[in-house]
Amino acid sequence: MASTACFVIVSKNGIPIYEAEVGSTPKKEDLAYQHQFILHAALDVVQDLAWTTNTIFMLLHDSRNEDGIKSFFQEVHELYIKIFLNPLYLPGSRITSSHFDTKVRALARKHL
Amino acid sequence: MEPGVSIESGSAIRVAVLPVGGPIPPACLRDYAALVARYARVDLASLRPSYSEHQKSPFAHQPWDTGCLRLKFVLGGCVPSPWEDFQSSRKVLAVVGICHLPSSPNLDRVAADFVDAARSYPSALANRCFAFCPTDAQLVEKKRDDIIMFPPSDQQSLELHMLTMIQDLSASLLMEFEKWVLRAESTGTILKTPLDSQSSLGSEEVIKAKKRRLGRAQKIIGDYCLLAGSPADANAHYATAIELARLTGDVFWHAGALEGSVCALVVDRMGESDPVLEDEVKFRYYTIIQLYRRATLQDNAQRVSPVSFELEAALKLARYLCRRQCAKEVSDLLMGAADGAKALIDASDRLILYIEIARLFGTLGYKRKAAFFSRQVAQLYLQQDNAYAAMSAMQVLTMTTTAYHVQSRRTSKRDHSLPKSVVSLFESQWSTIQMVVLREILMSSIRAADPLSSWSAAARLLRSFYPLITPAGQSGLASSLANSADRLPSGTRCADPCLPFIRLHSFPLHPSQREIVKRNPHKKDWWTGVGPSGPFIYTPFTKGGTSGSSKQEVNWIVGEPVQVMVELANPCSFDLVVESIYLSVHSGNFDAFPVSVNLPPNTSKLVLLSGIPTEVGQVSIPGCIVHCFGVITEHLFKEVDCLLLGASQGLVLSDPFRCCGSSKLKSVNFPCIAVVPPLPLLVANVVGGDGSILLYEGEIRDVLITLTNAGTVPVEEANVALSGKNQDSVISIAHSTWKSALPIKPGGEVTFAVTLRAWHLSLTDLEADGSRSPANSRRIAKEGSNPFLDIHYAGPSINSESNIVSLPPGRRLVVPLNICVVQGMRLVRARLLSMELPARFTDAHLRPASSKDHISNDSDVMHNDISLLKIDPYKGSWDLRLLELELFNPTDVVFDVDVSVHLDGTCVEQNFLSEDKAAGSACHKTRIDRDYSARVLIPLEHFKLPVLDTSFFVKENGSDELLGSRAATLAEKNAKAELNAAINSLISKIKVKWHSGRNSSGELNIKDAIQAALQASVMDILLPDPLTFSFRLTKDGNAVKTDSSKEAGDDSGRSADESVLRCKDPISANEMTHMEVQIRNNTKETIQMNLSISCKDVAGENCFDENSATVLWAGVLSDIYLEVPPLQEVAHPFSIYFLVPGDYSLQAASVIIDATDVLRARAKAESPDEPILCRGCPFHIHVVGTA
Repeated sequence: MASTACFVIVSKNGIPIYEAEVGSTPKKEDLAYQHQFILHAALDVVQDLAWTTNTIFMLLHDSRNEDGIKSFFQEVHELYIKIFLNPLYLPGSRITSSHFDTKVRALARKHL
Repeated sequence: MEPGVSIESGSAIRVAVLPVGGPIPPACLRDYAALVARYARVDLASLRPSYSEHQKSPFAHQPWDTGCLRLKFVLGGCVPSPWEDFQSSRKVLAVVGICHLPSSPNLDRVAADFVDAARSYPSALANRCFAFCPTDAQLVEKKRDDIIMFPPSDQQSLELHMLTMIQDLSASLLMEFEKWVLRAESTGTILKTPLDSQSSLGSEEVIKAKKRRLGRAQKIIGDYCLLAGSPADANAHYATAIELARLTGDVFWHAGALEGSVCALVVDRMGESDPVLEDEVKFRYYTIIQLYRRATLQDNAQRVSPVSFELEAALKLARYLCRRQCAKEVSDLLMGAADGAKALIDASDRLILYIEIARLFGTLGYKRKAAFFSRQVAQLYLQQDNAYAAMSAMQVLTMTTTAYHVQSRRTSKRDHSLPKSVVSLFESQWSTIQMVVLREILMSSIRAADPLSSWSAAARLLRSFYPLITPAGQSGLASSLANSADRLPSGTRCADPCLPFIRLHSFPLHPSQREIVKRNPHKKDWWTGVGPSGPFIYTPFTKGGTSGSSKQEVNWIVGEPVQVMVELANPCSFDLVVESIYLSVHSGNFDAFPVSVNLPPNTSKLVLLSGIPTEVGQVSIPGCIVHCFGVITEHLFKEVDCLLLGASQGLVLSDPFRCCGSSKLKSVNFPCIAVVPPLPLLVANVVGGDGSILLYEGEIRDVLITLTNAGTVPVEEANVALSGKNQDSVISIAHSTWKSALPIKPGGEVTFAVTLRAWHLSLTDLEADGSRSPANSRRIAKEGSNPFLDIHYAGPSINSESNIVSLPPGRRLVVPLNICVVQGMRLVRARLLSMELPARFTDAHLRPASSKDHISNDSDVMHNDISLLKIDPYKGSWDLRLLELELFNPTDVVFDVDVSVHLDGTCVEQNFLSEDKAAGSACHKTRIDRDYSARVLIPLEHFKLPVLDTSFFVKENGSDELLGSRAATLAEKNAKAELNAAINSLISKIKVKWHSGRNSSGELNIKDAIQAALQASVMDILLPDPLTFSFRLTKDGNAVKTDSSKEAGDDSGRSADESVLRCKDPISANEMTHMEVQIRNNTKETIQMNLSISCKDVAGENCFDENSATVLWAGVLSDIYLEVPPLQEVAHPFSIYFLVPGDYSLQAASVIIDATDVLRARAKAESPDEPILCRGCPFHIHVVGTA
């Protein structure tokens, strides 16, 4: 099943601190940035609706699997908290951990 | 679809504004159009004068007092819409011509033109042609009805004139509306939309159309009522229309009528924000949207789709609701509309839709959504292949840049000064989309032939995203920068900097700037307490004060060049040619000098930028002006600092300096720079070159220092002081010389001398200098070991107008005296020699330094040249002691050495023996070649003390026993001090001076070495023997002539007693010689002794032997008991008769009876029983035969 999904974590300042193209559709350069454009534009509405938080998780998806998305978010949140607990991690800076990246992609494969 | 639709737009009368006649200059056209467009709203009340009711008005409820007509001027007109029957507001109901009379002299032509232009708007109910700026000739022409002239006048009257004309137009429109409505009510009209298919007009549909006609007519009448400014009338008609449309199932017209009714409602209640009204509008509009959708579905098969009406309705509602509180609803509506875009067939409809969506999102405050749709608009524009579309695309994209944080600095200049949080100063990291946007701007601006925009876009792209661009892409951008610059006039400025990255590196202060000292007006020493004092750069006390103010202050001086070090980085993979770079100064009192720099790929470079302050005041230097890629840009230091800060926090892509291999640098604050008026500027020159002054150890030399005033202000006062290390090496400064030269005029100079003496190298220096190559000797001139001349100077005080004397700051000039001390003559060692080696002595060497017998001794030398005595060092204390100084010349120059012994104020020149030279040459100076050593022998014969005293031995042998007694300790102390003084005076009498070359001279420091050498046997040198013996010839028992060199009463002569004595006159053989031996007691006690006298011939045979055949004698010669009182002399006479001529030597010796401790100590007796023997010098007798 080919699906499109793009996951970003956006910091308080509207800066993406983690981006991942997690869909199973074959990659196209053009689409990748189209997804980012959409997510970027969506931030306006999301920030309006969301409570004041430090970070926003955004997933652009085309699957209807609500449960999967829910558990995906939950588990990614746990991963993010682990990153956040790292004393060397400066809140609001880019997440560069490859471990985190691998885990998120694995979660995406599992749940989405 | 039409742009800018809103709920109220149903009530606006569309008026086409057309330029007619000759060409109108764009500025004029804009002015005229603006003049016309001012009156978009015309109050009904004001129409009264021009309005005349011909028949009963169909607008029964027209609000003449409060209502108004709304005009919508469309400049240039518009294409007639196929839907204009459906909504009368789409019709062009009036045509206004604008004519610029100076360019169209022929009024007939203008009138004809206007008629032609108006003909394309058949729906127009009223036409007017406005002509501006008529010439005098045109004014006097007969008045025409078809052209309304606006005579030239001031703006106000022009506006009034225009208002009247517009009112006239409105009134005639109103009357036309009345006519139209009356006609429509009576006769009815056939109204069609593109939905009603013309071709297949089946009978069923004809009946249907007939049924619907009435409802449609009611709707149109309603439209006209609305246009005529009578919402109440409109509402009534719409209500009927809605009823009819519902009955006939005319869905599309139903929706239209409903839309009209909402418009009437809103217009009627204009200005009221009523939640009930809002709910009503919302409810009705959702119905309208539903109806339109149904119509769309119904007529899906049709070629034309009314889907645009559905979208328009959504947009109208969104615009109506467009407030923060309804954000969700609005964005739902807009997103729904955006989804509908796919259904739009016409590209321009889609364009309008996206524009409207973007505008509404922008109004709502959703900048990013607005940017997203703006980009869609730009893409639609880019699909059209013409320059205008590209220009539009570029402009639309430029509007999005703020949302994507890639805006040009030109547009963001407004909020430049606003304090921002650190993070927001960086590019928001949607780098992919930022790059896409910038690339699209670049593409569209190239297509739109706007070189400045494309340069700016390429510059932003390259500067912000170079790490994400491949080398090929970077080169491509570079070439597009160059291409754009080719099309720009030279000297074009762009707000957006490109490469290189520039950061402030440091402030290499010119020494003269660093040394500005604030004057303390209350002190004579105005420099004290202000400048750095003492050898310590860091003091804990000043630190606390300076850390409080983070910005240091720098003073620059008018007219004196200054420098700022900046670092440039080119992180890209192409050669960057910076045509010129110079400091950007906003304060305008600084002349910056441009330099050009070439930066190879991936490199950084330190560049020194200089300039001259021109006026007194503050200087602010926010950055650099760079001329690169053909365009001049300003690079701000602050931006790069923020970028670097972001890089260190992991917020931005990369640090351009680090990737160029430059080291990490903490950000440098630009200090507060004040420009002060000109100050004097002294420049110091050491005469003979500014290199280090090469001095040999101990050398004394005068150094000339020239001070030149290079400033434009005279030096009025000055002070020269010493600082730094080794200050004692400066012996004197010729203060009077420079003081007499004050004031030093600009350009004036003064030279004064400083006398230096080179210090002695320490052991560590010598070790460091172990390998004795000349190159290494430089190393001795170490940093920080030099003394400095601290010259504080100041110009005249300025008398300002109010009699307050303001003191301009003074200055400090530090002249380092770069003394490089190299090792000169070296004392290898000093040792005490007891003469073991045969040495040649003449009397001259040994003669006492008394000037009175100088001459007589000189004559003695002539005939007494017998030397080369063999002296046995093991025979008691009479031997000759020599101080040998071994000197080594490790340098590469020749040294002349001069050894002198100062004795009692007179100087005894001591010649010495040089190993390398012919011995005995009586030169006073001796030359030591490089890498040779020489030995100086100094006889230590003149240093004997007159009395052998107990006290000297207290220290030597009695320290243990006498420790207890206090009195002894005191005596001991005195004695010690006396002894030390004696030793010191001995040592200080010996001086070794040297000369080298023309002007190097100095003295060798040998004190310590001598002291060490003499340590062991200082007593032997200083202390006299307890007894001294001398022989004398006597004639007839009386002492007639002193044979020994001793002279009574001459202290210095006494010391010669110990040396070898010879009879001056040869003694003849076979003759009785009367002699006496004189024994002097040098102690303070009476000495009893047994004296014996011996005589030896050259073979060493004892001649006073019983069986000796050479000498006969008379008198007692052995075991003579004598008692010598303290410090007295006793003589013992005897006679000798020599049988054989030759050389003999007489010697007296005595065994001391009951020797005291002092004598024992002096003789270094080991056991108390040991007999103490005292021997005199051998007395040489030359016996000549009687021929």
